[in-house]
Amino acid sequence: MTYNPENRRFPLSQHTIGPFFPPGFFQPGDNDLTRYSADATPTEQGEVFILHGNVCKEGRLPVPNMILEMWQADANGRFRSECDPEGDQADPDFIAWGRSWTTMEGDYSFRSVLPGSYEEDGQRRAPHLNVLLMGIGLMKPVTTTLYFPQFAELNAKDPILNLVPEHQRDRLLVQPDGEVDGVPAYRFDILTRGPADEETIFFET
Amino acid sequence: MRNIHTTRLYDPWPDGVEPSVPIEGYTNTWLFTPSQPAIRKPVTRTETTGPAELWRKLICGDGNLAVTSTGKWAQGLYMRVFGQILDEDSRPIPNAVVELWQANAAGRYAHTLDNRRAPLDPNFLGNGRVRSDENGWYEFHTIKPGAYPVPVKDAWWRPAHIHFSVLGPGTLSRLVTQMYFPGDPMNDWDRILNSVGDAAARNRLIATQQHPRDAGTEALGYRFDIVLRGRNATPEA
Ligand SMILES: [Fe+2]
Repeated sequence: MTYNPENRRFPLSQHTIGPFFPPGFFQPGDNDLTRYSADATPTEQGEVFILHGNVCKEGRLPVPNMILEMWQADANGRFRSECDPEGDQADPDFIAWGRSWTTMEGDYSFRSVLPGSYEEDGQRRAPHLNVLLMGIGLMKPVTTTLYFPQFAELNAKDPILNLVPEHQRDRLLVQPDGEVDGVPAYRFDILTRGPADEETIFFET
Repeated sequence: MRNIHTTRLYDPWPDGVEPSVPIEGYTNTWLFTPSQPAIRKPVTRTETTGPAELWRKLICGDGNLAVTSTGKWAQGLYMRVFGQILDEDSRPIPNAVVELWQANAAGRYAHTLDNRRAPLDPNFLGNGRVRSDENGWYEFHTIKPGAYPVPVKDAWWRPAHIHFSVLGPGTLSRLVTQMYFPGDPMNDWDRILNSVGDAAARNRLIATQQHPRDAGTEALGYRFDIVLRGRNATPEA
């Protein structure tokens, strides 16, 4: 369908999820991107890792009941979507999406596989994780994109990371953090509001 | 596989549609809202794409919150909330995952954090998840929620409202919002609704009451269409 101004509608405004997001909306396995559902076979493509950290508000106070959602490319840098020219070759066992819920201590975690890099409009995108955060006090979700320190060369050329002032780019790197359940772990702590040089860098589109 | 051009599918948010934050007198928004402006980035593949077959992970139900699985009826005024999930070109969005949660008829949530002095209803959990059909339609059978106070300095009452979380075809079309009821004077005093500056945008958050001839006698009917970001970005069903 081509664009017809008479069919134009405006998107609905965003609102906060408030303090009462139903606990029943979060089920075991929801924070596992490597499989479609808790009882599905996990993908065999890619290197499994854990991403974990905490979410804090003003004053570095940890916040429970924050909801995080993560979205990323598969191990070969493809998205299972019509918006990816190679979407039909994307990993069919990898849902690439997960939801995590912070604990009483403000901790979250995801399990996934390292995303691949890919070419778009003649530019190479470094492996990255898209993270959306919502919760009490946030009238609209905030989003950021995280990168891995081991891909320094790709990071240096990533067009989105390059939108961040150079001296701040390291703040979007996840930090290697040993192993959890026998797989490599990375840490990324989120501060929604705080001193300008400590607050998490967020993007909008 | 059809190759959709990813650029230009997503217009920026129109003026006055996004809530202005932080909200005066609403302390939490001052503790959470980032102090630094977000960095504007272009729309690329990683934003226009989103999970295929998400309903395999987020299991969807029949959307009936008014009656428990053992046939017990919740207290309150029965209503059907329904509508179409659409993109900015009025194209229906099939297979969207639609999550709804709300207070009970007395204005209390079945949630451990809600300690308000109001009765809980053992037959009302107040949340559900459905998947939009091939024409983008969704529906829930539930009861009309009650209003509840926000216990902050200069406290105010939230008008009756329903929370919605919608996961459409791309991460850019992710929407979390609230639905309000027509004709409620408390709508004018609600700091959350009024954080949306544009009057037309606020009106779009107010459901339309169905005429009795269409609603029938079983339940009230409220239509609430949900328009997600993304022009011409809806995958073919
Ligand atoms: Fe609410």
